[in-house]
Amino acid sequence: MPFVRNILHYNSLSIVGLEKNTGKTVCLNYILRRLNDMGAHVGVTSIGVDGEQVDSVFATAKPEIVLYEGTHFITSEQHYLKRQLVSCLEAVDSRRTALGPLVTARVLIRGKALLSGAATTGILRTQIEQLDSMGVDISIVDGALSRLSLASPTVTDAMILATGAAVSANVKQLVSKTKFLHNLILLDEVDPSLREQLNTIQSGLWAVDDEGHPHDLGIASVFLIDRAEKDILRFGKTLFASGAVSDRLLRVLAAKEKGITLIARDFTKLFITPEAYNEFTRRDGRLLVLQRSKLIAVTLNPTSPQGFLLDSKTTCNILSDALQTPVYDVMKIEQ
Amino acid sequence: MKIKELIKQDAGFQYIIDSMEFMSSAGRRRMLKTDFCNNADELRNEWHRLDCAIQATLEYKYKKPYIDLRHCLMCLHDLQGTLSSLSNHTALNEVELFEIKTLSQQAQIAKGAIEGLGLSEILPIPDTSEVFSLLDPDHTGIANFYIYDSYDPRLTPLRRELNALQTSDGDPIRISELLALQNEIQAEVCIRLSDQLHVWADTLITTMEQMAYTDFLLAKAELSIRWELTQPEIGDAIEYKGLINPRLKERNEKANLRYQPVDITLHPGVCLITGANMAGKTVLLKSVGTAQIMAQCGMYIPASKAVVKLFEGVLTSIGDDQDEMNGLSSYAAEIIKISDILRSCRQHDMLVLIDEPARTTNPVEGKALVQAIIKILNDMSSTTMVTTHYSQLGATCRRLRVKGFVENMSDLPLNPQNINRFIDYSLTEDNSDDVPHEALRIATILNCDTEMITLAQQNINQ
Repeated sequence: MPFVRNILHYNSLSIVGLEKNTGKTVCLNYILRRLNDMGAHVGVTSIGVDGEQVDSVFATAKPEIVLYEGTHFITSEQHYLKRQLVSCLEAVDSRRTALGPLVTARVLIRGKALLSGAATTGILRTQIEQLDSMGVDISIVDGALSRLSLASPTVTDAMILATGAAVSANVKQLVSKTKFLHNLILLDEVDPSLREQLNTIQSGLWAVDDEGHPHDLGIASVFLIDRAEKDILRFGKTLFASGAVSDRLLRVLAAKEKGITLIARDFTKLFITPEAYNEFTRRDGRLLVLQRSKLIAVTLNPTSPQGFLLDSKTTCNILSDALQTPVYDVMKIEQ
Repeated sequence: MKIKELIKQDAGFQYIIDSMEFMSSAGRRRMLKTDFCNNADELRNEWHRLDCAIQATLEYKYKKPYIDLRHCLMCLHDLQGTLSSLSNHTALNEVELFEIKTLSQQAQIAKGAIEGLGLSEILPIPDTSEVFSLLDPDHTGIANFYIYDSYDPRLTPLRRELNALQTSDGDPIRISELLALQNEIQAEVCIRLSDQLHVWADTLITTMEQMAYTDFLLAKAELSIRWELTQPEIGDAIEYKGLINPRLKERNEKANLRYQPVDITLHPGVCLITGANMAGKTVLLKSVGTAQIMAQCGMYIPASKAVVKLFEGVLTSIGDDQDEMNGLSSYAAEIIKISDILRSCRQHDMLVLIDEPARTTNPVEGKALVQAIIKILNDMSSTTMVTTHYSQLGATCRRLRVKGFVENMSDLPLNPQNINRFIDYSLTEDNSDDVPHEALRIATILNCDTEMITLAQQNINQ
């Protein structure tokens, strides 16, 4: 598979799934094995020791990850003590999670381990920095459930998107759901000078005038916005949402006027449905991002957790055509 | 009394803690469990240690030993749980052993840095090098940890076989067996190491506590320098020159407002404080309370000169404790609190600060209550400050009046933004039984409703 070589161009990589059971872990295992063959020094962690994971089902439901000699990994104390490999502890974090403090260790003899990690992207960022300082070539973050926040370009440099039968057993729906997210990941970026100006803005909805200067519209949360909101276009038709973008915002803007450009921070801030997005684009609305994520590959898990199996080759081809990008069957690449 | 309980007294001490720069959570915890000390010798010793720490900080602030020590303290984890397990003969796991190894190493680095600062005498750190050696059987000198092969002769061959099988995708059943056996041996080693470390439990607890105390002392020293705090003397009465309320001073500085320090002397018995609204009576109570707590937990004081009397505790009734969930009105909550204070003062020598007692009930009974409170407290050994707006109380206690509003104090226009510049916050002895009547004047300056003010003035004139 060609995409593993691309990974080493980046400092950090996240693996996120459209749904649970889309084969993130299988994909991670494949990447780790290939990177080991290539002699890369890898750091691995995960996001979230959240409620869903601290579940008795978890230990059995979540497949274990194979870690190779020299790999640095971060996990919680409780998962560390259950590891099936030989490793040496190098750091213990003073912050505690539900599964004890997070620990960093180096693998001495390869084997399996369970990964758990920071609950917030802020802590995740410091962990990636820590792995960096231990001299890893690349830090890989295993996604939890269907969380996307870790794929933000402010957290990890590149991403792999996992999709599969778990999203929908209906190929048409699977393709349309995957394609929608794929489109959001590939949204165009604003030009660098504007990005520099908008990057420092921490909250609220802002307008960008024709000279490219931002103006605070005094709307603290876009979730509170309604159609009666006056004057939001007084500086022009370009707006910047510093936080989350919701369906409601898109619909309010679509109803306001044609040809509005809305800038979001990155695709992980878009909590929108295809329906609202379509309404917005039908009115010539344009959605841009400050920073686009580097999508390295899309992988497919043809098996659904209920045991339903899609035809791998056909589905990969249909998806590839729709996304205009190669799609890999994780079960096949593992073999 | 512990600091933790004194924070609840709402004398403004929380702000002091929040302003201190602790390197570790253990240092902060150490501060919170400090006793409110009324032993003069102990306090003088603590102030001496603080003085040494201040001198060392001034001399070495940006130099190696000081930076090393701060770094050690930043890495300090609070190992209370782990260390009490060790005392109780509970076997520690690998992560806990790692933490102990790190502590023993950091303690030795801290010890060296403290020597470099010339503070070994006041900050003795136990020698934990044997603990480190026990957890570093291969003499790597690094604070990494795992169950090293050298801990058990069975580990080397086992791991060699495991490694061979893992790298060649060998028999998974054999791999499982080897991992299970390894875990068993590791658990045995953990138990053995925990046994060997047990004799060190007390030393490690002392080490941890000393490191936490070092953090606390350095935070106090840093604050003393930053706020230019003063070492108090101990006497039979409170005597402050240039007393400052750090919180208000900082707020005023941010808002570009002037801050006026005050002088005050307080003797056992009651001192009644009167003064117009906005004259800073409540702030004065909080300043006195904060300074007292600071002194008695071994800190220096925000004043240019300070003599403190030592008390068994500080009791306050400041602010509105209305608690609708408890079904208590402002008045009920307050009067229960004051009644508790009186009970306490019958047995202990306390500093008591009461802000405008009985202000939320009818003035007839309110005044009678204030008279009673003053009478009772004035006959006790405790030192009490009571602020009030009631006049003609007929009390025989000492009275201080905040000078308050001075019309020609500034050349600036008199408006709500500048009003602070027209108030003289200094105190003066007052022999009259009357209180300043400036409520309407102040309401006028604050641009309040003119009809209300005119009508009120007419009511007074009648």
